[in-house]
Amino acid sequence: MKERNHRPAVGWVCTLATAAVLAVVVFSLPRGTGPLPAIARYAMQVALPRWGTTEPVSEIVYGTRGFDTFGETFLLLAAVVGVAIVARSREARRGFIGEEVAGRREEAAVDKPDGPPSRDERVAERAEEQERGDESETAPDTPDRTPIGAPGPETAEAMTVVVRASVRFAAPILTIAGLYLVAVGYSPGGGFPAGAAMLGVALLAYVSLGYRRVEPVLRPDVVEPIELAGALAIAGLGLAGLLLAGSFLANILPLAAPETILSGGTMQAFSVVEFVEVATGLIIAVFGLLGMRDEWCR
Amino acid sequence: MSADTLGPLLALPVVLPLTGAAAAPLLARLSARLSMAVSILLLAGSAGVLLAAAPYVFGGHVLVHYFGGWGPVDGHVLGVTFGADSWGLAFALVTAVVGAILLLFMLSEQGDLGPRELGWFSCLFQLLLAGLIGGALTADMVNLFVWFEVAALASYALTAFFLERPLALEAAFKMLVLTNVASFVVFMAAALLYADRGALNMGQLQQALAGRPGIVELAALGLLLVGFATKAGLVPCHGWLPDAHSAAPGPVSALFSGLMVNFGIVAIGRLVYSVYAEAGRAALTLLLVAGLISAVGGAFFALFQDDLKRLLAYDTIAQMGVLAVGLATATASGLAGTTYHLINHALFKALLFLCAGAIVHATGATKLSEMTGLGRRMRWLGVAFGAGAVAIAGIPPLNGYVSVGLIHEGLIESHQFGALAAMVLAQVLTVAALGRAAWRLYARPSGTIERTERLRPGMLVALVALGVGCLAFGVLEPWLTAHVMTPSASALLDHAGYARAALSGGGPIAGRSVSFDYLNPAELLATFGTVVAAIPVLRFAQRHPDARFITRVRAVQSGSVNDYVAYQAAGLVLAVVALIVTQ
Amino acid sequence: MPVIVANYLCAALLFCLGLFTLLTRRNLIKMVMGLSLMEASTYVLLLSLAYRPGSTAPVLLDMPPGKSPEQVADPVLQNFCLTAIVIGVAVTGVSLAVVVRLAQHYRTLDADEIRELRG
Repeated sequence: MKERNHRPAVGWVCTLATAAVLAVVVFSLPRGTGPLPAIARYAMQVALPRWGTTEPVSEIVYGTRGFDTFGETFLLLAAVVGVAIVARSREARRGFIGEEVAGRREEAAVDKPDGPPSRDERVAERAEEQERGDESETAPDTPDRTPIGAPGPETAEAMTVVVRASVRFAAPILTIAGLYLVAVGYSPGGGFPAGAAMLGVALLAYVSLGYRRVEPVLRPDVVEPIELAGALAIAGLGLAGLLLAGSFLANILPLAAPETILSGGTMQAFSVVEFVEVATGLIIAVFGLLGMRDEWCR
Repeated sequence: MSADTLGPLLALPVVLPLTGAAAAPLLARLSARLSMAVSILLLAGSAGVLLAAAPYVFGGHVLVHYFGGWGPVDGHVLGVTFGADSWGLAFALVTAVVGAILLLFMLSEQGDLGPRELGWFSCLFQLLLAGLIGGALTADMVNLFVWFEVAALASYALTAFFLERPLALEAAFKMLVLTNVASFVVFMAAALLYADRGALNMGQLQQALAGRPGIVELAALGLLLVGFATKAGLVPCHGWLPDAHSAAPGPVSALFSGLMVNFGIVAIGRLVYSVYAEAGRAALTLLLVAGLISAVGGAFFALFQDDLKRLLAYDTIAQMGVLAVGLATATASGLAGTTYHLINHALFKALLFLCAGAIVHATGATKLSEMTGLGRRMRWLGVAFGAGAVAIAGIPPLNGYVSVGLIHEGLIESHQFGALAAMVLAQVLTVAALGRAAWRLYARPSGTIERTERLRPGMLVALVALGVGCLAFGVLEPWLTAHVMTPSASALLDHAGYARAALSGGGPIAGRSVSFDYLNPAELLATFGTVVAAIPVLRFAQRHPDARFITRVRAVQSGSVNDYVAYQAAGLVLAVVALIVTQ
Repeated sequence: MPVIVANYLCAALLFCLGLFTLLTRRNLIKMVMGLSLMEASTYVLLLSLAYRPGSTAPVLLDMPPGKSPEQVADPVLQNFCLTAIVIGVAVTGVSLAVVVRLAQHYRTLDADEIRELRG
């Protein structure tokens, strides 16, 4: 799409002014020659042995500044619920909802044909028709039956047998890698990267096996309650800390020896539940985006 | 209850709504009533804990809690600190109570939605409330940013909730772009302050900033101001506000206008007074200028709007300008007036937006020209809207009179008479704008609306509660000024006490004294004068809506995201340059 | 002048690139990309601020030979970077969902044609 820039002069002036201001600030920033701030040294020399673990970043994230990460978890929940709302499909409603009337009126105002449809509109309409055609039930399961060299496009749900076999081999290895990241809490890792790794595995399965095969496991009805339960579990862990140890998210589990799987007490439990929440949350968000339909515009 | 038992309980006002948010979609599948009851109960619990802490905090102390017991070591704090002083606690309490009322209204108005939609809606609503309460109670820079971000992320999908309205999606996108730039800027500032001074706890940061702040700290202050000014809707970072508040569902607009934009002002007050202390005084001039432009500009734009919620949104910008001017007075009366106006704005703006939202939901009409005479057909809505309009106009005995009067007193004490004149002008324009809306609603019905739905009992209870709140905050003025507003002003002005408390687990705040003469003849005359002067302004606006000057000014709000970001970037550059040059 | 200033300048440059995209491009997807660029600039800034000359990553489990546990980068800023990454992912997800819905309604990705709300 060829686009004219929007007010390029204003853009250049504002950007150059911001660049000048930032350059002035940058040249006054500390050049890294001083020692680490006292807080950082405290985190590594005092707090780390007290938690009985050896990974400072995880200790700060899930232990000493765990309340920040607690807020982070619900931030991710807010984003996931936001995507779920924007990507949702129509549900049955009862009664008269005034916003629907307003919506129809605004849609009519937006759709009013001001002359012939623009090139963008024609391209969009053609793409939508093609999408509607793709949902037919006659599409083959896999493209393995079509002879090699047959002209495209492929309408099959899954991919060829080569891809499926490779994914069946690679996915368990990646799953174990992700679980390793979260389980071994005394080395770098933790719930967030492990959750992202699980999302990668889910996407691999979706792309290679097709939505129909993964749907029973990755349906919203199955994954959403797990995610909300994960968030509730983290809140519960914190409240248990409040009741038993006098402060929200304080440590209530016995601290195992360092460099063992259970070291870190509540920190490790937090990290594991965070893993469940992040993995399911990202799965809801991505699959919600992939499953958006065009039903709100008619 | 003593400070030792109350301290750990400070986490509950944030955790309870978060738990409600996570539980809401699960419960909504079982029963909408059950979900509503549990959510409101949890918010009431949150308000209860805050009320239990209120006597200690409003008695002139700061209630501090270090999470996990990671307290100060040699004046350095690694863990997250919660420090509830009067300024933050007042806002948190208002958020919890008004939030519960709005949740009641929302769940009874939207009870016809599908169970999944309703569950998600309720979830985000509570997440937003929890973010606001957390940000008000915290005493840690990065924690403040995290709760700010939770509130921001929850607000995007709330705006876009009714996906059949293209305007809602457009407004959500604009809000998204502007608020994201603001959040990156705030985060950069927090990181810069940590890298330069090694402090995350606000008390520790204040002590580290004592003396002459360097370029990095002043730039960080400018960045923080712009970031939170975007949240508060102050000019020039206001581009998203009219669109988002007009296109969002009714209770959501009430939440945004009544509570979310106020959070920006609360954060600015905290940063300028408690964190930057002496160095922050340079920022007060910036706040004054931004506040005056917002107050007059917002009210001016509100005069010419046909869409009722857009009119109210511009009035929100005007009131945020008033609050910024109040913050810039740096006197006890001015700051007490700012706290009072913060609470009053939550009450009357929520009331007005709930009425406007109920009109949209019941009839599908959004433009004032279609709503002629609706105030007579839907009696309760008419009365509620009238009460809100009278409260904004500042007519005694409703609450607007006291708060605006206290801010005027603050301006007189700090000898800012030009600002006082501009505030009176803004008040005249505001009264004219709302008078026009009220006039339309009470005129003879024109018959364009075919069907109206009856108000549900939950909605009525919410409207009555807010209306009674407006009246109570006007009538109970002496008690409130002495016991709530003055401690808040003292908490902001006694920055040394705040820092000491944040670094030692709690402590006292030196008190000031503020008094408001209810029957001050100058104030009563000014109120009467603004109402009288509004009438010719109203006539002019109705007769010449297309004057060249007016269309040119209105073209500033061009509807293009690129323009709004340009205003925001220009504001950023001006703020940082002004702060660095004047030091 | 130490090399770390080049890192800071790189972060500032990325921020300005993102800002320029938001100011001049009308395509909604390009605006979301601009936001991503600004996000990336915060990651670079945070990690550069954490660096100390001659330091290694703050992994105390298996330190490289010749480095004592005091010669590590700042782990607190790396915690902030984790926070920023999560926020970035979340925001990009929501923005793209909103952009898709906008394109379905207005049949265009040009921000100049999505201006029903103005004045």
